[in-house]
Amino acid sequence: MSTINLEINGKPVSVNEGITVLEAARDAGIKIPTLCYHEALSPYGGCRLCTVEITARGRTRMVTSCTYPVEEGLVVTTDSPAVHKVRKMIIELLLARCPDVPILQSLAKEYGVETLRLKKTKHDDCILCGLCVRMCAERMGTSAISFVGRGVDRRVDTPFHVQSDVCRTCGACAFVCPTGAIKLEDITDNTPIPIPSEFDTRLGNRAPIYIPYPQAIPNVPIIDSSKCIHLLTGECKVCESFCKVGAINHGQQDEVVEIEVGSIILTPGFEPFDATIKSEYGYGRMPNVVTSLEFERILSASGPFQGQVLRPSDARHPVKIAWIQCVGSRDETCGRDYCSSVCCMYATKEAIIAKEHASEIEPTIFYNDIRAHGKGFERYYESAKNKFGVRYVKGIVSGIKELQQSKNLILEYSGEEGQKVQEEFEMVVLSVGLVPSASSKDLAEKLSVDIDRFGFCETDELSPNITSRPGIYVAGAFDSPMDIPESVMHASSAACLASQGIAEARGTMVAEKEYPPETDVTGEEPRVGVFVCRCGTNIARVVDVPSVAEYAKSLPNVVYAEEYLYTCSTDTQIKIMDIIKEHNLNRIVVASCSPRTHEPLFQETIREAGLNKFLFEMANIRDQCSWVHATHAQEASEKAKDLVRMAVARVVNLEPLHESPSNIIRKALVIGGGLAGMTAALGIASQGFEAVLVEREGELGGNLRHLYYTLEGQDPQELLSSLMAQIEQEPMIRVYKGAEVSALSGYVGNYETTIKMADGNTERIEHGVVILATGGVEYTPTEYLCGQSEKVMTQVELEERIAKNTLNAKDLKSVVMIQCVGSREEDHMYCSRICCSQAVKNAIKIKDENPDAEVYVLYRDIRTYSMKELKYREARDRGVTFIRFDVERKPEVELVDGRLQVKVFDSILGTDILLQPDILALSAAVRPQPDAMDFSSKLKLPLTQDGFYMEAHLKLRPLDFVNEGMYLCGLAHAPKTISESISQARGAVSRAVTVLSKTHLMVGGVVSVVDEDRCVACLTCVRSCPFNVPRINERGVASIEPAACQGCGICASACPRKAIRLRHYSDDQVMAKTAVLCEE
Amino acid sequence: MIVGERKPFEEIKESVQGYNKLLIVGCGTCVSVCMAGGEKEVELLATQLRMANKLEGKEVEIGEVTIQRQCDREYIEPIVEMARNYDAVLSMACGAGVQLMADMLDPIPLIPGLNTRFIGIAEEEGVWAERCRACGQCVLGQYAGICPITRCPKSILNGPCGGSQGGRCETDPNRDCAWALIYDRLSKQGQLDNIIRVAPPKDFRNQDSPARQVNEDYLKAEMEEAAVE
Repeated sequence: MSTINLEINGKPVSVNEGITVLEAARDAGIKIPTLCYHEALSPYGGCRLCTVEITARGRTRMVTSCTYPVEEGLVVTTDSPAVHKVRKMIIELLLARCPDVPILQSLAKEYGVETLRLKKTKHDDCILCGLCVRMCAERMGTSAISFVGRGVDRRVDTPFHVQSDVCRTCGACAFVCPTGAIKLEDITDNTPIPIPSEFDTRLGNRAPIYIPYPQAIPNVPIIDSSKCIHLLTGECKVCESFCKVGAINHGQQDEVVEIEVGSIILTPGFEPFDATIKSEYGYGRMPNVVTSLEFERILSASGPFQGQVLRPSDARHPVKIAWIQCVGSRDETCGRDYCSSVCCMYATKEAIIAKEHASEIEPTIFYNDIRAHGKGFERYYESAKNKFGVRYVKGIVSGIKELQQSKNLILEYSGEEGQKVQEEFEMVVLSVGLVPSASSKDLAEKLSVDIDRFGFCETDELSPNITSRPGIYVAGAFDSPMDIPESVMHASSAACLASQGIAEARGTMVAEKEYPPETDVTGEEPRVGVFVCRCGTNIARVVDVPSVAEYAKSLPNVVYAEEYLYTCSTDTQIKIMDIIKEHNLNRIVVASCSPRTHEPLFQETIREAGLNKFLFEMANIRDQCSWVHATHAQEASEKAKDLVRMAVARVVNLEPLHESPSNIIRKALVIGGGLAGMTAALGIASQGFEAVLVEREGELGGNLRHLYYTLEGQDPQELLSSLMAQIEQEPMIRVYKGAEVSALSGYVGNYETTIKMADGNTERIEHGVVILATGGVEYTPTEYLCGQSEKVMTQVELEERIAKNTLNAKDLKSVVMIQCVGSREEDHMYCSRICCSQAVKNAIKIKDENPDAEVYVLYRDIRTYSMKELKYREARDRGVTFIRFDVERKPEVELVDGRLQVKVFDSILGTDILLQPDILALSAAVRPQPDAMDFSSKLKLPLTQDGFYMEAHLKLRPLDFVNEGMYLCGLAHAPKTISESISQARGAVSRAVTVLSKTHLMVGGVVSVVDEDRCVACLTCVRSCPFNVPRINERGVASIEPAACQGCGICASACPRKAIRLRHYSDDQVMAKTAVLCEE
Repeated sequence: MIVGERKPFEEIKESVQGYNKLLIVGCGTCVSVCMAGGEKEVELLATQLRMANKLEGKEVEIGEVTIQRQCDREYIEPIVEMARNYDAVLSMACGAGVQLMADMLDPIPLIPGLNTRFIGIAEEEGVWAERCRACGQCVLGQYAGICPITRCPKSILNGPCGGSQGGRCETDPNRDCAWALIYDRLSKQGQLDNIIRVAPPKDFRNQDSPARQVNEDYLKAEMEEAAVE
């Protein structure tokens, strides 16, 4: 194909042969208005709006640019007064025919058509551009519509003016119509059915080509093969005309890929329970009954209602909204007797967010037990009640009736005194449970992995993540219902198990990338190259990209500036490298999109061209310009120039930065030798690294030493002795018993710790990471006569006594247990998570040994989450009596003539119950270690309000501390079960191995540096750093370890003496941008 | 440390009116540490003034410099000559620094940029609290290291008064009663006798005003040196 040279508006343009003048002009960024032109259709020249002036062979005339092919030496003018006059006349004539069409009205404004000289004759919005007719004929191969009539009677119509039976109702005609004149119902008697969006839970619609959801991986559009006209009929392919890079492939087929792996992790997740099964709630029949997942989308700003809380039936703002808990959970009638664990909290969250969206909303939550057993959840639940006014009603709704007119819903439930209550709500949210996804059953069958009767993956209580088949592990909700932080921990644990067997192979399949040596640019004059991106039409549609590139050339120090269709495409990367060499560039600016997504790519490219990657700056002329100023092309172009000028000003001030390797000591320190610590040390060893395990007591085991049986009937003592034996035999683990960590310094990869032995001697060890597993303690109650009568004991003591036979269950006629002793109250506003299961466990144990014993559990909410619910049910079936009390009216315990007497108010009976048990077991809280405050400050680690260690992020980073290289697990984090401690410990190992598996860390680059001469040791940086990095050194000034610095710049901006500078963001580098912005 | 706070911008702007060349001098010791008069605050104030002047169409040259301490001659000397090129000097030091600067730069007008508040400590980032009133007769040893002169709004020596409620002061429910604190700590130390003893009125002559202090040893040394010369 040969190249043709022509001139448009005085600018020389080279284009490929065979394209039209219109296409050539648009490629050059010159705007020509069109109405009848369409990229996917053959040129028509119907509307005449694209008229331009051409001069060829000495003759000047007016032509329609959409039909005129380019030719050598052609001179085109698109903006002369003559062209303007012609277009103005065309618009006036079109407007005379269709005065109500918005696009014509705005063109009229643009071209200065003020008064209509011609009277409108009849109402019509059709400008006879023929787009619809051509689309139907050329692309859809249908010709369901065509032009009929002649002269003034010409119009678009179906044959014989009857609804067409060949029309496929694809809607393409209406879609391309620029004036909205085409009405599908005139053409066909079929009604188009919108495609519901799966991600918006079918509350909104989507296109046949779509990105499934905003964070989809990969984040590219897919074509719905069941809806694509081309795949259904072989026609259309309109999308191909629009994709300039030719990425559309209609022929793509499923591929079978074989991968050899050493282990497998199953994470198929869960599906929401199908609420139509609970037909009494009317889901699917009553529009204003939605599931919690649907409500989640309703709340989302990117959801079907743009974040407005509207009800589906009439898009009105509801005031009274009810949540019904346990829909498809704790319910034997639908085969789902387990608890879904997460619904109480998500309902609470949804109620709070709904309230935040619209304060007039009155949320009510109908529940069985509120299960706020996660870290920080109890406080959240309290704030829902007290701060946000969420109303909680104990008791589940028996049925819903819909009012015919208003579509409001009448909920029936039993009131506090057992009476029947009917209450009207405007919307109901069903808190649906978690069920294993339908496909996971097939998956389990294919892999020969056992599943339980609900379809969850079968695992052993004391060996979490391990399926029935060796080498295959499970993580997340396919194991059992769990929330986000639990899933993250569980998945990290599975990763630990999956990698430990194949640890030897780590890194053996990695290919190192080689870079050319870096060019030394010191002392060189800045030579800046500016690459301006059109981003297809994303930027170029609004911003005048050629003029921005032209402008960039005029800026000081700029020696090269050019526009590109896609700067991020592979061929442009190669071009950038060539141009850097060709023009000897030493600094690069890319004006395109967000550095958040694309900076690493360009930095990589310039590094490959031999430039230091920090000699680079981006101007975001897409997200922060063309996208947000789409309707202000002129101003957007000016802003783009400003952004480029600022980027150039900064880039000339940038200096090369270098990162240097810092050694990693491939050894882990594990603090605490309880279950979590022992598991973590063994995990580190099984990954092939050394571990140092420090336990301050004389022997290992911690709280595990006091546990004798689990809820499922397993033996924790067996687990303990097996762990101790493994540790003893493991040469990679060094154990210090009766020893304490007395000092810890250093940073990720290079810690130094002083261990103080029982004999007073100290030892110093060097290590690369820290796993903190310091555990917790059982609260020693002072209430309910605890400590005053030997008949009153904690659950752990009861378990120990039964196991050691110092208490014979056969001698017991009556046992009372009181829950939440030291939990869920002022000062200790957290749930201890395990005590409900402990009580159920001990109650069943007593019933096992003595079925005649009466066991009463006095509780506030029973929190037997997940599969523990089955045991709660079993306890009730076996005659354990559960009596609910209110925290305002706690049970009273007295000793009367040496006999225990427990008085509790039963709200259902409305009266006090008097119990005379032989023993009273108190479900005492789990408390943090009493010295946690001192120890945490020694390690510079944060604690929560309740005194447990605080992770880096409650949801997403539950195993990490903010301080890099430090991880946590076990009771030090929060109360948890044996199984949870094990999986958290293994998860912490996974996190630690991300550091230990490297030979070195790259440090430096964008970090803060201290000018010691200026520092006045005021401690501002020490106090303000969120990562605890700066310290006052032996010279009495602040120093910042580059390996630990995260480069956030807070210290640099806070320093009152300006002694700290954040590299790459120094004052002059940042101010350079504002200075040129304000230049006149 | 001496804790100060920057004066409101309007007041500063008013006070520098009419000067066409203004030098802002920061102090690198106490007021840097309490984030009121260090290099950063000097830069912020200078920028703020430049912007205000530009908006009003005024041409004012503003210089910036921060020295180690404005309460010592040796640190001021290097900038004296430079400062004489200005119509006025705005000092971001405590009252002591401002006065020494005024003496050394006489007759250039010296304008204070801060209000000097108290001698205190940093409770946490961005929070300072008074701890010493420089009474000249320290009684902290008797009162478990808690100063009743400074921390009791009445400065009473035989406390607590009747306004001590549940460990809080009647003047402010968020303020600890200094005497409750003293009682608690003394009882931990087993030294409650200290507050049972009636404290005689303080000898406020020790807080002579203006106070001056002479250390004979150093004075003598200076004289001997002079004698040798």
